[in-house]
Amino acid sequence: MTHEDTQITSPPKPSEILLHLGPQHPLQPGPFVLDLKIEGETIREAELHIGYIHKGMEKVFEDRTYLQILPLTDRICYLASNSNNDVYCRGVEELLGIEPTDRAMYLRVLTNELCRLQSHLLGIGEFTTDVGFLTMFIYMVREREGIVSLLEAITGSRLNHNYARFGGVANDLPPGYKEMALKILGDVKKQIKSHDAMMSSDSIYCRRTKGVGVLTAKEASELGVAGPPLRATGVEYDLRRMEPYLVYDDLDFKVITQTEGDVFARVKVRFLEMLESIYIIEQCLDQMPSGPYKQDVTPYITRPKPGEVYSRIEDPRGEMGMYIISDGSDKPYRFRIRGPAFATSQALPPLLLGGYVADVAAIAASMDSCTSEVDR
Amino acid sequence: MGDEKIDKTIMVELSNTFKDAVSEVDVPSLNRAVARIEPGKVKEIMQFLLDKGFDHLSCISGIDYPPDKMEVVYHVTSYSAPLVITLKASIPRDDPNIDSLCGIYWNANWYERETYELYGIKFTDCPYMKVLLLIEEMEGEWPLRKDYAGYPDLT
Repeated sequence: MTHEDTQITSPPKPSEILLHLGPQHPLQPGPFVLDLKIEGETIREAELHIGYIHKGMEKVFEDRTYLQILPLTDRICYLASNSNNDVYCRGVEELLGIEPTDRAMYLRVLTNELCRLQSHLLGIGEFTTDVGFLTMFIYMVREREGIVSLLEAITGSRLNHNYARFGGVANDLPPGYKEMALKILGDVKKQIKSHDAMMSSDSIYCRRTKGVGVLTAKEASELGVAGPPLRATGVEYDLRRMEPYLVYDDLDFKVITQTEGDVFARVKVRFLEMLESIYIIEQCLDQMPSGPYKQDVTPYITRPKPGEVYSRIEDPRGEMGMYIISDGSDKPYRFRIRGPAFATSQALPPLLLGGYVADVAAIAASMDSCTSEVDR
Repeated sequence: MGDEKIDKTIMVELSNTFKDAVSEVDVPSLNRAVARIEPGKVKEIMQFLLDKGFDHLSCISGIDYPPDKMEVVYHVTSYSAPLVITLKASIPRDDPNIDSLCGIYWNANWYERETYELYGIKFTDCPYMKVLLLIEEMEGEWPLRKDYAGYPDLT
C-alpha cells in the first residue's frame, strides 16, 4: 500500500474519465464525494472527500459540562448511540473513580448488543439495496423494528437512546420485559437464519459479492481497519474478548471470523454476529442480578480530578475510542473521538483500485461506513 | 488470545532503548501505559514499537496548551494484545513541527491531515497533506486551538 492509492494523482488521460459519486446519492449512508478515475469500466484511481457534515463535536464538547455531553454522544452516530453512551460513561467513571452497579453493567451489555443487532440489520439492509436486492432491505427493516421496540421499551426512545449514566443507567427494565424480549428475539433469530440462507444460496448475489473487494489479513491490519471488515479476513480482533469491559468476561460468546475477506465474508460476519448478540442478550436476561440500577446520587455537575483516560469499546462497526483529558474543571479540556468508520473510510479507496465501477456500491456498502461519525 | 510477548515490560524496554527520548513513563491501569517522548525521535520510537508487535495505530490527536506549548498524542496498540500505549510529544506553539508517521503506519495519513487542519501542526515529509474535514478556505484558521475566535459569518 502506498499513499498514492488514496488520491487522484494526475488529470485523466484521453482514454480515462473522472467520475464524481456524491455528495448526494441514494446509495450513500451520508454525504461524501468519491472521485473515481476510470478507464473503460476499470477503476484506476480513487479519492474520498469527506467533511460535508463536519459538526465540530470535539470543539463543542470542550464547552459543555460532562453531563451535557452525554446526550450529544448519541449524535455521533445514531446507529451506535448506546455504545457511544457507554464508552463515554466508562471514561468519565474512570476519571471520577466510580464503578457502575452490577445490574447496570448487565443492562448496558444488553442495550449494547441490541444496538449492535439493529445496526447490523440496517447495515445489511442498506448493503442489499446497493447490490440491487431491495426486497431484503424491507425484510431487514421489519426485523429491526422488533429490536428497536425492545430498545424503546427500556430507554424510552427509538433512535438516540441516551441511556447510560455515570455509575449506572437511566431506567430499569419494565415489567414483563424478559418474556417480551425472548419472544421477539426468537422470531428475529429465525428470520435472520432464513435471510442468511436465502442470500447465501442465491447465485446472482454470490456472483456479485464473492471475490469482490478482497482484503487480506495483512492488508487489513496495515490499513488500520477494525470490526467486521477485519474479522472477515480471519483476524480475531474483538475488544469484547481482548479487553473485556463491563461483564463480557462472564458471558459466553464466539468471536466470529471468516477467512475470505471479500464482500460476501463481511456480510456473513455481520449475520453470524447477530446470532451471537442474541445469545449474549439471552444470557444477560437469565443472569441479570437484582439490586440498584444506578448510584444513589448522580451529581449534576461533575468535576473529575485532573487526568486523562482512553476508553474504548467494540462498536457495531469496530473500535470506538474516546480520549478525555480533564483539567479539574466541570468541562473536559480535550475530547478526542476515534471512530471506527473513519478508519474504514480511509481504507476504501485502495480497495476499489483495479475493480469495476459496478462493484463500487457493493464494496463501499459492505464496509458499513457512517458519514456522521466519520465527519463528527 | 493475548500475545504473551506484548505486555507492560515493553515500557521498560522502550525507556532503556531510548534513554534520552522517553520520560515520565506511567502505567495507570491494566491495559494502558503513558509516556512522554522527544518530538525529534518519534519515528525511531514508532518503528521500534512496530517491530515489537504494536501494529495498530489507533489515533493521532493534537492538544493545545497556550501560550507556548502544543502536544501531539499517539495511541498505539496491537491487533493481538490489549495494551494501549499513549505517547505524547510536546512541540513549541509558535513553530509546531513534527515528523510524519505515514512511512511507518499507513493509516497515519488521515489523522495527520485532521490534526494539521484543526491545530496547524505541520507533519514533515507527509506524502499527502491537504485539508480533510474543513473547507479549503478555513485552512489557517486552526479551529481547535483554544484561542480560536470563531469563523466569521459570511452570509
